[in-house]
Amino acid sequence: MQLTVNGTAYQVDVELDMPLLWVLRDELGITGPKYGCGIAQCGACTVHVEGMPVRSCQLPIGDLEGEVTTIEGLGTPDALHAVQQAWIDHQVAQCGYCQSGQIMAAAAFLDLNPDPSDQDIDRALSANLCRCGTYPRIRAAVKTAAASLKGA
Amino acid sequence: MGRLKTIARRTFLIGSAAIVGGVAFGTVMYKRPAKNPLLQDLGPGAAAITPYVLITQEGITLITPRADKGQGAYSVQAALIAEELDVELDQITVDPGTPSPAYYNTALANDMAPFRSTDDSIIAEFTRAVLDAPVKFLGIQITGGSTTVPDSYEKLRMAGAVARETLKAAAAKVSNQPVDQLTTARGAVHLPDGRMLTYIELAATAATLNPVTDITLRDPQDWRLIGKPMQRIDIAAKSTGTQAYGIDIRMPDMLHAAVTLNPRRGSVNSYDATTAETMRGVRKVVPVTGGIGVIADNTWRAMQAAKAISVDWGAAPYPADMDAHWKSLTDSFTDDQLDSQYRNDGDIAGALGNAEPVSAEYRAPYLAHAPLEPINATVLVTDARVDIWTGTQIPRFIQANISKITGIDADNIHVHVLMMGGSFGHRLEDMVVRQATELAMTVKGTPVKLTYSREQDFAQDFTRQIAMAQLRGTLRNGQVDTFDLGIAMPSVIGSQMGRQGFPAAGPDTQIVAGAWDQPFAIPNYRITGYRAPELAPISSWRSVGASTNGFFHDCALDELIHAAGADPLAERIRLCNHAASRTVLETVGEMSNWGSKLDENQGRGVAFCLSFGVPCAEVIEVTATPAGVRIDKVFAVADVGRIIDPVNFEAQVSGGIVFGLGHAMNCEITYADGAAQQSNYHQFEGLRLYQCPEIKVRGLENGRTIRGVGEPGVPPAAPALANAIFAATGQRIREMPFNKYIKFV
Amino acid sequence: MKHVLVLFTLLVPQMAPAQSNTAEEGLAAWDRIYQVTSSPRCANCHVGDNNIPMWSGPSYGSTRPHGMYIDAGPSRIGAEFIPCSTCHVSSDRPNLTPHSAPHIAGLWHLAPVEAEWFGKSSNDICTQLRDLERNGGRTAEDLVDHAAEDAIVAWGWTPGGTRVPAPFSQAEHVTDMRIWGAAGQPCPGD
Repeated sequence: MQLTVNGTAYQVDVELDMPLLWVLRDELGITGPKYGCGIAQCGACTVHVEGMPVRSCQLPIGDLEGEVTTIEGLGTPDALHAVQQAWIDHQVAQCGYCQSGQIMAAAAFLDLNPDPSDQDIDRALSANLCRCGTYPRIRAAVKTAAASLKGA
Repeated sequence: MGRLKTIARRTFLIGSAAIVGGVAFGTVMYKRPAKNPLLQDLGPGAAAITPYVLITQEGITLITPRADKGQGAYSVQAALIAEELDVELDQITVDPGTPSPAYYNTALANDMAPFRSTDDSIIAEFTRAVLDAPVKFLGIQITGGSTTVPDSYEKLRMAGAVARETLKAAAAKVSNQPVDQLTTARGAVHLPDGRMLTYIELAATAATLNPVTDITLRDPQDWRLIGKPMQRIDIAAKSTGTQAYGIDIRMPDMLHAAVTLNPRRGSVNSYDATTAETMRGVRKVVPVTGGIGVIADNTWRAMQAAKAISVDWGAAPYPADMDAHWKSLTDSFTDDQLDSQYRNDGDIAGALGNAEPVSAEYRAPYLAHAPLEPINATVLVTDARVDIWTGTQIPRFIQANISKITGIDADNIHVHVLMMGGSFGHRLEDMVVRQATELAMTVKGTPVKLTYSREQDFAQDFTRQIAMAQLRGTLRNGQVDTFDLGIAMPSVIGSQMGRQGFPAAGPDTQIVAGAWDQPFAIPNYRITGYRAPELAPISSWRSVGASTNGFFHDCALDELIHAAGADPLAERIRLCNHAASRTVLETVGEMSNWGSKLDENQGRGVAFCLSFGVPCAEVIEVTATPAGVRIDKVFAVADVGRIIDPVNFEAQVSGGIVFGLGHAMNCEITYADGAAQQSNYHQFEGLRLYQCPEIKVRGLENGRTIRGVGEPGVPPAAPALANAIFAATGQRIREMPFNKYIKFV
Repeated sequence: MKHVLVLFTLLVPQMAPAQSNTAEEGLAAWDRIYQVTSSPRCANCHVGDNNIPMWSGPSYGSTRPHGMYIDAGPSRIGAEFIPCSTCHVSSDRPNLTPHSAPHIAGLWHLAPVEAEWFGKSSNDICTQLRDLERNGGRTAEDLVDHAAEDAIVAWGWTPGGTRVPAPFSQAEHVTDMRIWGAAGQPCPGD
């Protein structure tokens, strides 16, 4: 079957029930989305499908409808997305393993809710687990990113 | 700095190509330095001036042998070298290097000795020095025990300084200018006439020189990097999905593997892989240590096939159910099981005989490490060598163990240490590497990446110890007079080192760490460690013994202080007999505005624990809402002697608090029929964003020696929370996780 | 979706009663309907205006709000914070993996706020269901169709993982809805 990831079209020959996550990681070599739990508990595998956030470990490839954007497609070290820039400015990452998912979740959230309250941020990002405990900086970075996106 | 200079002269081997950057080889017994591993594969025009600085025509590489599990170790190590080398962090790359005895960890041995970190006595220093010896002989390259900074602080700056001075000598030779006219900045030597020679240009010449070892480390007030906010070198990669972790490695023709392992850690009686073998993408089904492995062309296919294998598992080699585990602990408070009594002040028997003691019992459960990156290892076996790519804290052990499995000489076992998606002690074990090697041996010449499913990662974790404590105490005139705490747990070091083939002799200081070594002067003060029999396999979990004992000791103290009718903070300060610790307590009081009025349903608790040489105090404010307890604020103060990077310091303390709180609130591993009952994060959640309080951190630098900060923030978090809950509700919780007794919102 | 419909055609008795049922039969049917509507499979997402789905039932331990601080918002699909569809993807494959987010062939969402069932009495739910103002303008026949054809309703009997399905079967539930409708939608408090 065919799928489009970060603007590039790919052809893969896989079982239709293989989760998108493993198609990305093992078939296409796109390793920004991480495997953390496999059951939608941690959010490390979050990607966008048509701009909406999706846990790629939950989506069978046969049910994918639309273009996929991964953390690599959101922005690059040379052309950062505002959320990524805020993550760097606040030095959010410790081990960093959850941060691809955190950033993708935050970017999708700010797209839907550009002017979030503190409470909104807690509601939006509590489904992404961070074992290192970077939550205070995640909160701060989301606010910075929201301000910067509004100014843009 | 005079002393350092002398050591440096003694340390560096003059007149030979083998140059060592470590200062700790300066004693008579061990002055023969370990070989510089960088000299092995050096190309033309390249210089490896110390084991920590490698300059080739491509660029400057700083070797950062302590593993990065997310604690920023690479950045901190790089900064220490760069400070003296006069390079900026944007000019260099870092490499964890190859496992080598040159990179042994001295600081770890220091903390194995039964002397309080606050004890500067001659006997304490002597014992630390003696313990250092076996560590050196073994060449243990371990990351753990918050030792990266203490171990590296002088060693790496020396390495940078030696390299800088040697490059200056090379520049003097090339330019015929006197060395004292030369300066260095941004990776270049500057000549008096304004010209400059880059380190890269000078590398070839430097390689022909004897390293300059007559050096003086810079005065801290001249530092460019250390002590100032830094940007971690991995921060952009970790914000753009471009940081490669062990799990991300890809190689041509690489195969993917998964395992199904005995959840009871026993034998495999029989198995049927008929279905698995026919599943799409499956190449091989192979028995491995502890279970069965599947090699396939895709991780998901391997995991699906592993699940399709039906196995008759053998019984657990430890008690099947929790009741028996706890009974084993309650039965261990006997003279037969006595492990240590490093603290025995005053007259306990007399004091307890005179009054009806306050008594209480505390419990702490097994806990999984559960870093978000499941453990994994990629192994390529050929007839002549083995290459291993993995995130590990113990590359030297892996070298030795894989040599045994494969029969290939340890020199030909190449461990490539990769960035880790968390560890918390998880990657101090190497079972996954053994299994990956067993799989790779069946497909020689083809790399195999073994990834544990999250469920296997939980089931096979070598967890935090289970532990119990019993308190008896008395009060006199509104003060704590007797504090008698017995602690029982199986030996972590015994279990962990036993798996590496090192039987641990003598008492295990971790059984009482975070309790016996607390800086308090209580008239009658005794801490007794009891070694429970080995139960389920256990290993070091962020802050090790102090992760349970910090909770026991401080909550017990809090109970006695409340019973005495004293103020929790004031009484701790009164009892404290260590200046740096007292300042930590006073500072957290000032930060938290201790004593100020709170709402009716609010409570404030303080806790203190000195662990890994770092006094750390935390004050927590909670609100008892109708739906449950909400954690509002945390104030934390820690004294690490010197803060290398205030940004990372804050992150480590704050992260340690979140880690300590989350597990205290809702995590435990329990066994039923010999298997862990928790299989994924839905049963082992920890703290999520919405529950994360506002956290304020302050660092102090009054301590005598520099200390690491990865762990000390953890132990005070649980007791500070329990003490705050007591203050708000009157309910004293003596067992983790607290959600067995109370709800959190 | 296709699977569900095919299954339904096979299972539902096609001899739906043409004649009216008695109030007694209707109330008996309602009693069974209430057991369905008040089961965790239905009630967990038929919540009130706090828009917070619930986790209740044997597989969740104690009754509590949906984990992860989930709030579906006034949109009832999570658009304000995190869309339900982030984890509850659209797929008609069976829900096989224990503890993972269940999915349906459609958009996962909360029921409209008027249809608050969680913790409500039998009579409350009954009067809401027959009230055109509060049931999305559905006639008794429309309600039968809803019970028969909505993917999220069908999921209640095929929840997967370790979740306990709603009581009875979907076919029996549809029959009960038909009987209850034919009896004039009687409620216990009438």
